[in-house]
Amino acid sequence: MKIHTKSKLTFSGGTHPPEEKELTRDSEIEQGPAVKQVSIMLSQHLGAVCEPLVGKNEQVKAEQKIGDCDAFVTAPVHSPINGKVKAIGLQSHAVLGRSHAIIIEADPNNNTPKYPNADKFTEDFDAEQYSVGQICDAVREAGIVGMGGAGFPTRVKIEPNPRLPKETLIINGCECEPYITCDYRIMLEWTRQIIAGIKLARKASGCSRTIIAIEDNKPEAIEVMNEALERSGDSDNIRVVPVKTKYPQGGERQLIKAILDKNVPTGGIPPMIGLVVLNVATAAAIAEAVVYNQPLTHRVVTVSGEAIARPGNYYVPIGIPVEELLEFCGGVTQKSTKVVVGGPMMGIAIADLTMPITKTTGVITVLTKRQIGRAKYERRQTACIRCGRCLEVCPEHLIPTKIAHAVKNNLLDVAESYYISGCIECGCCSYVCPANIEVTGYIKIGKLTLAKQKKKIPE
Amino acid sequence: MLRDLRISCSPHISERFSTRSVMIDVIIGLVPAMAAAGYYFRSYALILISTCVISSVVTEWLCNLIRKKENSLGDFSAVVTGIILALSLPPSVPVWAAIIGSVFSIAIGKMVFGGLGANVFNPAMVGRAFLTVSFGALMTTWTVPATIDATMPKISAENTIDARTQATPLAFSKEAIKGKKEIAAVNEQLKSTIAGEVGGCLGETSAVALLIGGLYLMIRRTINFHIPFAVIVSAVAFAGIFYLTDSDKYAQPVFHLTSGGLLLCAFFIATDPVTAPLTPKGMWIFGTGIGVLIILIRTIGEYPEGVMYAVLLMNAVTPLIDRFCKWVPAGGKPHV
Repeated sequence: MKIHTKSKLTFSGGTHPPEEKELTRDSEIEQGPAVKQVSIMLSQHLGAVCEPLVGKNEQVKAEQKIGDCDAFVTAPVHSPINGKVKAIGLQSHAVLGRSHAIIIEADPNNNTPKYPNADKFTEDFDAEQYSVGQICDAVREAGIVGMGGAGFPTRVKIEPNPRLPKETLIINGCECEPYITCDYRIMLEWTRQIIAGIKLARKASGCSRTIIAIEDNKPEAIEVMNEALERSGDSDNIRVVPVKTKYPQGGERQLIKAILDKNVPTGGIPPMIGLVVLNVATAAAIAEAVVYNQPLTHRVVTVSGEAIARPGNYYVPIGIPVEELLEFCGGVTQKSTKVVVGGPMMGIAIADLTMPITKTTGVITVLTKRQIGRAKYERRQTACIRCGRCLEVCPEHLIPTKIAHAVKNNLLDVAESYYISGCIECGCCSYVCPANIEVTGYIKIGKLTLAKQKKKIPE
Repeated sequence: MLRDLRISCSPHISERFSTRSVMIDVIIGLVPAMAAAGYYFRSYALILISTCVISSVVTEWLCNLIRKKENSLGDFSAVVTGIILALSLPPSVPVWAAIIGSVFSIAIGKMVFGGLGANVFNPAMVGRAFLTVSFGALMTTWTVPATIDATMPKISAENTIDARTQATPLAFSKEAIKGKKEIAAVNEQLKSTIAGEVGGCLGETSAVALLIGGLYLMIRRTINFHIPFAVIVSAVAFAGIFYLTDSDKYAQPVFHLTSGGLLLCAFFIATDPVTAPLTPKGMWIFGTGIGVLIILIRTIGEYPEGVMYAVLLMNAVTPLIDRFCKWVPAGGKPHV
């Protein structure tokens, strides 16, 4: 049965790049490759960097905590495999910058792959058997962070905070980036686990209202979720809301605007207006952590792109090098020109394929020249003709061209007067620019330069 | 494993859409007006349009050569400037004057500012203004459309001195304001101005052709509706005020709409994105300013037509409008 739920709920602005999800949307979640070595970054999240808890040459077990920190906004890291610590040192990472990492060599004789727990969850899961403290502690100890991309420690989000009471829990199943299908697959395959996680998050945060938002290009996911909620008798208090398919609908600020018609203050976060937004994968991780006491050591990653022999959705240990995952999928052929960690709109192109997967990596996109398109391949920028398309698509109602040109001319005060800090770096402006100007790129540079000037980050 | 992977900042894909496609769209939008010009003014149209286009393109090419800059002809903006300049000139302008106008448009109107995107004023209007102040007589001699029997001009029986030329409807309107003509004679020309069978600049006579082109651009979303709408509404409203105060002296508002360069300006000249404000609010102010200035010049000013100066004046205040029409982010101003 096909349902055609077209939703009008959305934000103003945005664009609609080709979805390209056909490549992997029907591929069931598959077990990833057996790893020889993993590299666990000590800062896979926003907030303080972890201190290593293990030494060189020390034996570690799977699910053992290997890094932690006393700070409030942080999340511990765990080893996904049994093995030995080979090295602890600085590793450059295209997404996280230069950061410390623990490299663990797998024990070849003593490693069984971890399988998802999704089938163990039942429909009549009852979150009331766990106390708020239990849930929060389990989430903290499991090192769960927002798995949609930003990596904000989940415990900080769901923990009750008397100053900022929360009233609505939003579960984000939009997945608006092209190519990515990992959240879609877990919504179909891990439905019960996600719902268990949602109940736990709702209990912990004390939210009275729960909404699951899914883009209307995933009718199957909407249906599966609705059916599961009906069977478990939760359809009254957990509502599935289809939202319009538009990029960046999955951005939490845009999602909140779409379903609740509220604006998160510029530079602020959803808890300021009583909201918690969790990705569906994060909800699933919460369930696993609370019920089975398992830390976040594995996740589903989509590997997609024309040049990939076996595109699909793979259940892989965090820390596996991109290279191994790509080889498992048939390797990168000569046709490919870019390997992107993340989707094509916000992802980061990497040249060093030994880079490890982190908790926030949802997709590895391998793009060919054809997929990139001539304009972005040649990267020839022409003059801005002030056509105003970037203003039309900006979901944050900024004037991107003004900010970009201010940064280009090194006028950071002007960039600030056009609210550079309000940019969410979604890339819509660069995507639509007829002059092919890297508008988002300039804004990112401007933000970095400003942060350096204000001594927020070291040179 | 592959070693020549590219890295660059996100996004890694883009819409199949370029400056060139914007300009080609504008050229397509101008086709009906060019066709109408060809129908009414025959060889004048062909000669004038091709002269302006060719000399604009050559000038841009030479300027790039002198400035040692990359060739920018591929964006077709010089072609657009050439066509708009040609359409805003009287049909009988000699080839040499058209060349001077085109060279001035591109070289002084655009390239000295740094090329496309950097110019403050609409290049075609800069060239036209130069021709107007330099060769006033040439710029106010109007040819009768070829569809009208030259010996029997419909518009005015007074054209006895030179049967091949005649005054424009706006010139009549001006004379009516000064009390030299009956306003009824002016209002009678309304029908002719809609079809375009009147004297006037090459591309501005046919209101229908301009409307078709303008609608095409709006449907293609090459231009926003804000500026054309603001120009038209404000001009009609302002002309309406004059008409209401003294209908014996001032022409009907719709007459102002269909005659002269108002529609050409509303759809093709004022909408030049480079010289217009960025935000919709700014566009409304900009368009309203142009509409009001056009009518002011037509009724109170010395010239019968005011499009060119209205556009240039509003171009000059565009940066100011932009500054006063900043957007506030969706989440409100950040607390610093």
